[in-house]
Amino acid sequence: MAVGLKIPDNEAYTALTALERLGIPLARVERSAIYVFQAPAPEDELAARVTRNESVFNPNKHRLRVLDANAPRSGEVWIEEIGARWVDADRYVGWRLFGAGDRPVDRATLAAATELLLCNPAIERAHFPKTEEER
Amino acid sequence: MARRIAVLIFPGTNSETETLALLRDCGGEAELVHWSRAESLAAYDAYVLPGGFAYEDRIRAGAIPAHDPMMDYVIEGAQRGKLVLGICNGAQILLEAGLVPGTGAARRPTAAFTHNASRKFVCAHVYVKLATAPSRSPITAALAEGTLLPAWAAHGQGRLAASQMHLREIERGAHLAFVYARADGSIDPAATPNGSALGCAGLLNREGNVLAIMPHPERDAWNFNHPDRREGRNMLAVSGGAPLFASFVAGVQRS
Repeated sequence: MAVGLKIPDNEAYTALTALERLGIPLARVERSAIYVFQAPAPEDELAARVTRNESVFNPNKHRLRVLDANAPRSGEVWIEEIGARWVDADRYVGWRLFGAGDRPVDRATLAAATELLLCNPAIERAHFPKTEEER
Repeated sequence: MARRIAVLIFPGTNSETETLALLRDCGGEAELVHWSRAESLAAYDAYVLPGGFAYEDRIRAGAIPAHDPMMDYVIEGAQRGKLVLGICNGAQILLEAGLVPGTGAARRPTAAFTHNASRKFVCAHVYVKLATAPSRSPITAALAEGTLLPAWAAHGQGRLAASQMHLREIERGAHLAFVYARADGSIDPAATPNGSALGCAGLLNREGNVLAIMPHPERDAWNFNHPDRREGRNMLAVSGGAPLFASFVAGVQRS
């Protein structure tokens, strides 16, 4: 499950402007809180579990998206906090970067943005989309 | 000519007033510098990064301000030997900027002050003990060996975290400047309010001219700040947190 904002996301915009300053021009940045549930359960049950929790989901601000796969999409990196322990779901912050033509950025741009800003390797681990070979 | 100290204001800084007041009480010629005047920082001889929530802690505490144009001047100045002191959010910024512990390149952090072990905000009166020889840094040079400072911890992200390799570097390289201690000066893991690795409350860079400290000595700087407000005391007299600032100002004047 991915929880993103349907109102303007100031944090994503800050990331956009900071990355531009670091020499990575982007068209748009999307940010979402990712929950990957360990125990298998029907989709609507998992969605209800997230939307019932008022500390993570406010229907006036957030929209819920069911993940197609438990892995980042093209142009997206998931940031995991090393050593954090969560109950029943793994948590990540998902950053999806879009470049010219509103297309998801390539792997090299994503890796550069992650190294320069989005991930502090002392406390976080970055998960990238699988390459063709890895698939 | 007196050396000038800049107290930086990022969007979201909130401790600049007491930081400035204590620097001046300790004899420092200090001024506030707003983020819109970043280029003026080149003319200052030392920098203090106060506490707060710069850029709302977006992405990570300290991550965005570490790339603010003001930090271009701080990093360049630190590399040229200027003294830099970061407190609380200022400390988080210095770690994100890679200035402390300074075991990697600039803006390539090798450690962080991150979420407390409890994952709750801590607001508590604490004591920190000087864990290195005072002469290790011009910032601590005027303190006595093993100085115990009272301070207020006020943070949600004050736990030192790093890989085992970098924690070993911090220990071996004498980067550990202050550790949490009990009021009698004894070291006790229970005195660490946030689960910080090595009981760390403050870190120095290799050269000793950059200090990052999580709790706020400037919030226990006058007797009215101190939790033990005994009758008969002059409430406006300087209190236990002031010696670190006095030592910093003395170091700046000598530099």
